[in-house]
Amino acid sequence: MLLEIDGLTKMYKKGARANDDISLEVDAGQVLGLLGHNGAGKTTLLNQVVGLVKPTSGTIRIDGRDPVADPAMARRVCALQPQAQAPLTGITPRQAIETMARIRGASRQRARQRTDELIEALELAPWASTVGEKLSGGVQRLTAFCMAAAEPGRVVMFDEPTNDVDPVRRRLLWEQVRALGAAGVAVVLVTHNVIEAERAVQRLVILDQGRVVAHGTPAELRGQDADRLRLEVVAADEPTAHRLAGDVDAVEPAVVAGRRVAVPIATGTATATLAWAQEQRDAGRVDEFSVTPVSLEDVYIRLVGTENGADATEEVGHAALAA
Amino acid sequence: MRHWLRSYSLLLKWTILRLRTTLPFMFIVQTLMAAGIVLGFAFLIPTHDRVTALYLSTGAPTVALITVGMVLIPQMVAQQKLRGLFDYQRAMPVPRLAMLAADATVWVAVALPGMVAALVVATLRFDISFAVSPLVVPAVLLVALGAVGIGYGIGYAAKPELAGIISNMIIIMALMFAPVNYPAERLPDWFAAVHQWLPFQYMAQAMRETIDVPATGVPALPFLVLAAWGLAGLAVTARIMTRRA
Ligand SMILES: Nc1ncnc2c1ncn2[C@@H]1O[C@H](COP(=O)(O)OP(=O)(O)OP(=O)(O)O)[C@@H](O)[C@H]1O
Ligand SMILES: [Mg+2]
Repeated sequence: MLLEIDGLTKMYKKGARANDDISLEVDAGQVLGLLGHNGAGKTTLLNQVVGLVKPTSGTIRIDGRDPVADPAMARRVCALQPQAQAPLTGITPRQAIETMARIRGASRQRARQRTDELIEALELAPWASTVGEKLSGGVQRLTAFCMAAAEPGRVVMFDEPTNDVDPVRRRLLWEQVRALGAAGVAVVLVTHNVIEAERAVQRLVILDQGRVVAHGTPAELRGQDADRLRLEVVAADEPTAHRLAGDVDAVEPAVVAGRRVAVPIATGTATATLAWAQEQRDAGRVDEFSVTPVSLEDVYIRLVGTENGADATEEVGHAALAA
Repeated sequence: MRHWLRSYSLLLKWTILRLRTTLPFMFIVQTLMAAGIVLGFAFLIPTHDRVTALYLSTGAPTVALITVGMVLIPQMVAQQKLRGLFDYQRAMPVPRLAMLAADATVWVAVALPGMVAALVVATLRFDISFAVSPLVVPAVLLVALGAVGIGYGIGYAAKPELAGIISNMIIIMALMFAPVNYPAERLPDWFAAVHQWLPFQYMAQAMRETIDVPATGVPALPFLVLAAWGLAGLAVTARIMTRRA
């Protein structure tokens, strides 16, 4: 294993447990997604790996070596895109990416080549020679991504690289994350973009209040949800919504929020349910409906819960879906 | 060592790129200020004997270095702290000292033309000539080391708002209340005694007595004191830079 973390606990002075007994592994060529609410301890975890924060207990091994004892080694081996916006005042994306690649050890030629590649891949060419203070937030974020990705070392870690980035470029960015994995780099990716992350990662770790609450491939995390679909209906009005919620052949109770109804259904009953929904629409009781696979976001929310334990939805039936 | 030099030169390039729009402006301000001190203080002091002239013409380049090291640097560090540049720098695979050295090189280079300008203006204004020693080169470097070391120490150790206040007090101190532009005998005894423990008079002395060597030769004390101040400042800085939460 290239990156091994075992029993890692971090307590800040006068603070809570930011990391609580975290264990995980990332091998060369793997992309690991790290999910969790604000304050779950994701940034703290990355900072310990690069030797910027000292663990309270537990061990970290990067290719068998200890970043706590040798932080200079950790900084050489790991590239990090910090969560903060990159300081680009007075400097253009091209200069920033190329110089950072050189600082990280790339030869002049390789630095230039990687810079060209990334600028093209992320469609940054129109801004490649604009100084930082004139760049939009999203372009700054993408530049910071490239600064870490240009010469990634053996482990590269991105802390929320898609913040502020438009949907088209987010796709291009996920593409580059996958490419880094394919090139044999161990990638750790912190993101709040749960649904999109699925396209780029092999495994996911979900943190909650410093603890690992789930760990596995997206399919494993879905578990029983893998053979379920989610029916969403927008009813004509609220009473109709409640009435319809009881009519569906569901595997778990429906969640009603205003005119919206969300129901998990078994894959086997999908055809019948679709026909039913079409009938309801023809009868004017339903404005729109859709059937989608249960998203990772649903799984995530079920595991981690909402911040204050409840949201604006109203349960119909026995148990709560978003417990 | 190769890694160190490579890091240094790349960081130097980065710093120059980052500052390229402000650097020419800094050059001009520094040069005008150094020359201005010579001319301005000449108005304040109506009669100039050779001693007065010597203090003014060597005090000006000293103040130029103090401004850069102990005023511009803490303010720049404070600004970088606020802008989050440190999160980035801290994660870079470069030696910490190379990072400081790259920054310091640019700032000392900004001060150099001002120092020369001050001397040229002084020779014209006071019609004075100097017995310059080659030791002036290490003297300039040591004064720079002392000022830069202390400057980084303040910038890193103090909160950004406080660093601004401290650096403003330093410039007033160096200009008016330190035996830089005039001899220490003009200060009250207790204040002159305080200055025995501060770096200013040693900076001035190192510059003055290498630009115009006294009959007794170039003294060693100011060099030792400045080296100590510089190293102490850098030690504080290094400690804070490598501190881990
Ligand atoms: N330097 C610090 N000193 C004290 N407490 C800290 C420090 N940095 C973070 N914390 C605390 O540690 C916990 C975890 O913070 P962390 O930044 O790791 O969260 P995160 O998962 O990255 O959150 P976000 O998604 O908002 O970036 C939080 O409760 C935070 O307040
Ligand atoms: Mg974070």
